[in-house]
Amino acid sequence: MPSYAPSAPASLALPRRHSSYFPVVFSVLFLLTFAGSYRLAQVQPLLLFDAEGRRNIWKFVAGMFPPDLSWSFLSLLGRPILETIQISIMGTVVAVAIGFPLGLLATSSLTFKGILNERELANSRPRVLLRKTSYLLARAALSLFRTIPEFIWAFMFVRAVGLGPFPGVLAIGIAYAGMLGKVYSEMLEHVNPGPLEALQATGASKLAIIVYGLMPQALPNVVSYTLYRWECAVRASAILGFVGAGGIGQQLEISMRMFDFSQVITLVAILFVMVAGVDALSARARRAILGRQRV
Amino acid sequence: MYQLNQVSKVFGGRTIAVDDLDLKVRRGEKLALIGPSGAGKTTLFRMLNLTIPPTSGTLLFDALNVSSLHGRRLREVRRRIGTVYQQHNLVPRLQVVHNVLSGRLGAWSIWRSVRSLIRPQEADLAYEALSQVGIPEKLYDRTETLSGGQQQRVAIARALVQNPEVILADEPVSSVDPALAAGIVKLLIELSETYRKTLIMNLHSVDLALAHFPRIIGLRDGKISFDLPAAEVTDEHLAVLYAGSQTEIGEEVPSLAELRPVRSCQPRLTT
Ligand SMILES: Nc1ncnc2c1ncn2[C@@H]1O[C@H](COP(=O)(O)OP(=O)(O)O)[C@@H](O)[C@H]1O
Ligand SMILES: [Mg+2]
Repeated sequence: MPSYAPSAPASLALPRRHSSYFPVVFSVLFLLTFAGSYRLAQVQPLLLFDAEGRRNIWKFVAGMFPPDLSWSFLSLLGRPILETIQISIMGTVVAVAIGFPLGLLATSSLTFKGILNERELANSRPRVLLRKTSYLLARAALSLFRTIPEFIWAFMFVRAVGLGPFPGVLAIGIAYAGMLGKVYSEMLEHVNPGPLEALQATGASKLAIIVYGLMPQALPNVVSYTLYRWECAVRASAILGFVGAGGIGQQLEISMRMFDFSQVITLVAILFVMVAGVDALSARARRAILGRQRV
Repeated sequence: MYQLNQVSKVFGGRTIAVDDLDLKVRRGEKLALIGPSGAGKTTLFRMLNLTIPPTSGTLLFDALNVSSLHGRRLREVRRRIGTVYQQHNLVPRLQVVHNVLSGRLGAWSIWRSVRSLIRPQEADLAYEALSQVGIPEKLYDRTETLSGGQQQRVAIARALVQNPEVILADEPVSSVDPALAAGIVKLLIELSETYRKTLIMNLHSVDLALAHFPRIIGLRDGKISFDLPAAEVTDEHLAVLYAGSQTEIGEEVPSLAELRPVRSCQPRLTT
């Protein structure tokens, strides 16, 4: 260990901390960015309090009460509620179906790096190139999928396949495939490589190594993150209705357009209950899985 | 069985782990490798079981030059070599039966392998192997609930089920209670005698090596320091082998890589 001239005798016993300017530089940059954004984004808190704003907010809040709980309105909602749940489930299923294979390709420890490839790819540049290309393509696809928000995807799919829940499913499927694939690949890259090396040494194929070594180790994280994404999907499928992709959001959009805030508050309350319900459900599932792991 | 000619392994262009090594191992032979930590024993084993390729030199396995093998042919040769690791390298969450049967993965189709996770295929084979190592009652236990010594036995059972021609054991007892260590070493020797397997073992304990193996190789700085029948190994040989290296307890612990915090719209990930 290199020894520096001790500046503070009190810390002689401790290894010297490396100090650097980076934190300072970054703090200054951050503050400048923040100040700049504040102006550029035209943040004007006072706008909320001027006469016009106050009137609008008051109209909005007052209009909410009492919430519309008439049977004629509630009876309309059964189908959209179900639709929202179905969109979120099917969307998540599609996302896993697309995201998981792409996630495997985007896992560098599977495609071209590390112990599982060292021997296989030794002295073969074409094979290395091929593997690297598929890795990069998978990463690029995943990143494209998730940088375009699900809202925009829904907008495009409504144009492509028409109104209804199906474009919503596709939008969530594609956008979430991007997130799931990326996160899966990180989880798979961080499992203990020891067992994988041992499986490979028995002559197991790469698929068998994935099934016996990689998945059992990563499964709790993978399942728990997928469930969490499902919660996100319930929220998202509410918004997607705004562009005509079905579900409770479509009703929300209609009520808002008609300035019927008493219906809006009912819908928001229903959405809240749904998200909370899904949250509780997946928390239980998570506990079941993670609890089993601690045996 | 093995013939190594001028085999070297260099890591990162700088660290010479194995240096210009010549070695011949006959079929059915039992030999122990000893030497200080960092001598290159593990690296040599990982070349012998075709996990990593040598940087230079030729490695013949059963008179077969393995340097150009890949894909299915490479897997077929790997199947003939069983390895027992210092850290067991079992999958903690799987039941013991699956960890034992993973020795069969080289022989099974992928469908059979997947089906076995639902309903163990050839469970009798696993049971038999576990009986050989003395813990048949653990067949359906979760592997991570076993003690270190028991897990090492599971790893040996995995190698038995694989039914290889060579067993490589890399310090199989250094993470086991010393009282159990001799038992496991003897077990491996007996099993390889019963089934006529070649056995190559890295050992931290010189006493165990000298007591149980007919041929001893001392490895230091990636080179062979001596290669002698156990009876001819003297204190001077050992003094040279271990000169300047303090015998250390507790080697590297496997670092269960922690998950980096995952980026998401609302990050909240149970780890
Ligand atoms: N994957 C690796 N990358 C870089 N260096 C390594 C790697 N594996 C081993 N080494 C180095 O090679 C040398 C020999 O290590 P090793 O074969 O583990 O010795 P031993 O098993 O005899 O203790 C050590 O200096 C070690 O740091
Ligand atoms: Mg070692």
